[in-house]
Amino acid sequence: MKIVVLLKQILNPAGFVVRADLERIFVNVEDYIINPNDKNALEEALRLKDALGAEVIAISLGEPRAEDALREALAMGADSAILLTDEAFSKADASVATLILGKAIQKIGDYDLVLLGQRALDTGGEQLGPRLAEYLDLPQITNVRELSVSDGKVRAKRIWKRGYALVEASLPALLTIAPDSNEPRYPHGARIISAYREWEVEIWGAKDLSLTEEELIPLTEVRRKAFPPPREFGEKIRGTPKEAARDLVRYLKARKVVS
Amino acid sequence: MDLEYWETLLGEAIEEVEYRDIFIVAEVEDKTLAPVSLEIVGKARELADSLGAYVKCVLLGGDVKGSADELFLRGADTVYLAEDPALEEYNLDTYVKVLGDFFEQKKPEVVLLGATDIGRELAPRLAQRLGAPLFTNCVEIEIDASERLLLATYPVYGGDYFHVSASPSARPQIVTVSPGTFAIPEAFEYRAGEVESIPVELPEVEPRVKVLEEVTEEARGNVPLSEAKVIVSGGRGMGDEAGFSLLERLAGALKGVVAGSRGAVDEGWIGEERQVGMTGVRVRPDLYIACGISGAIHHYIGMQDARFVVAINDDEDAPIFKVADIGVVGDVREVIQALIEELEAEG
Repeated sequence: MKIVVLLKQILNPAGFVVRADLERIFVNVEDYIINPNDKNALEEALRLKDALGAEVIAISLGEPRAEDALREALAMGADSAILLTDEAFSKADASVATLILGKAIQKIGDYDLVLLGQRALDTGGEQLGPRLAEYLDLPQITNVRELSVSDGKVRAKRIWKRGYALVEASLPALLTIAPDSNEPRYPHGARIISAYREWEVEIWGAKDLSLTEEELIPLTEVRRKAFPPPREFGEKIRGTPKEAARDLVRYLKARKVVS
Repeated sequence: MDLEYWETLLGEAIEEVEYRDIFIVAEVEDKTLAPVSLEIVGKARELADSLGAYVKCVLLGGDVKGSADELFLRGADTVYLAEDPALEEYNLDTYVKVLGDFFEQKKPEVVLLGATDIGRELAPRLAQRLGAPLFTNCVEIEIDASERLLLATYPVYGGDYFHVSASPSARPQIVTVSPGTFAIPEAFEYRAGEVESIPVELPEVEPRVKVLEEVTEEARGNVPLSEAKVIVSGGRGMGDEAGFSLLERLAGALKGVVAGSRGAVDEGWIGEERQVGMTGVRVRPDLYIACGISGAIHHYIGMQDARFVVAINDDEDAPIFKVADIGVVGDVREVIQALIEELEAEG
């Protein structure tokens, strides 16, 4: 079985502070991590590898520094890693990322599963998985909490409406893993040195994927940042329990905290 | 609209403009429209009026025409019905096929969907098929009149801040809207509109993703604390086990789950696995109600990422009030009792 896992490297939110009142973001430490939800996807792939034996290929689209994310994946247990980086990729939005990653996955070929996180923390985006499934013409299962593979089929427990659904699809298939659906393992002691010193991370650019500049023009652009209204703490409601309860419900409804 | 009629009236040919009007993919379950579909219709009406465009809803299902009137009352001009036994049960591939073909032909300027479980998996696949931009989980949508452009606002980094994005040239501009973002518009009593049928031709194929079982977890306790959207949390201030059990009812009225502080766990009122705090679970709900919790630092560490915090405590000087967006000073049990009545009365 061949499993392709997509990992996005993002700025670690622990390293910056958002000051809504100043409408500014202060980066204290420029630290980069694997999008936590993609790490859940990697963990699922590694569990399948432990249970059934599988080749796990980690790929990442990003800046050259995303190589670190891939080396971490190798240390955790991935068998090989491919970095998709190119000056021409730098403006990729979801549709362009779909094209780049889609071409890369086709180039890898012969895969059984494509796994990634349901959501990218840094953009809030929830579209890469289904877009890729459409591009690759694969069945998709989103928001998966648990999965298993047998007899050429993947079975998954996915978050669905007010509970969950058990679903099944034939391989190859693409699955997006729900946030926090597992506890990703730590890099394996014996693998760390090899992962960071010995093993190669392959690098593919636009030429390797036969992508032209026109194909890499994004559909969307971020115009500006916006900030939530600053939170003010300490406001108090007094009165009889009945009055206080009524005022509180009104207050919460006005702020759309409850509907 | 009937173009020929207007052409006769104006005495000149009207050029048909591509990519016009706001389309909504409305969701019906058990003959009832999803609240988010109505919320979107209200917003779409606003946008359409500023663009000089129409609001057109699409309904897919086995028999969904009964929901058209409700959409007209809330602001829709046209309702398209795609009715077919094959659409009775939601299936991603068939829905994408029907909607993809339909939008390919209609060329909307904007397509809006609710960010429901269906919308979240359907919209991106549809966007990819149409070569269209998509903005997910939006909390605001506006029109930039000078460029005739949709501006979509959506949370990034878990809601710490937002991005406002646009797609200057690709159409349609597709958006999923988080449920509960916009208010359901008032119904105009005499509003009506046009109903049109969409011809559906679906080849009989096995669905690629087969649903084996659907489980509804009304038992709220099953939602992991770390994922709960609403948490009602109690501390020693609840007094005794009977007092603590009030929280279940409050959580029920708010469709939330119950948790506790270290103190409540020590008293044996709630299990350790549902303890919020430094040594327990770190939660990030949309609403956290701290009842009878004084708010020591180890508790604060567990709930500091909550988006909105309510504190109910009889001690006016309790530290919890300093980290609460709103606090109620009073007898915890009496306030909660009144709160339950208030919420249940409103349904």
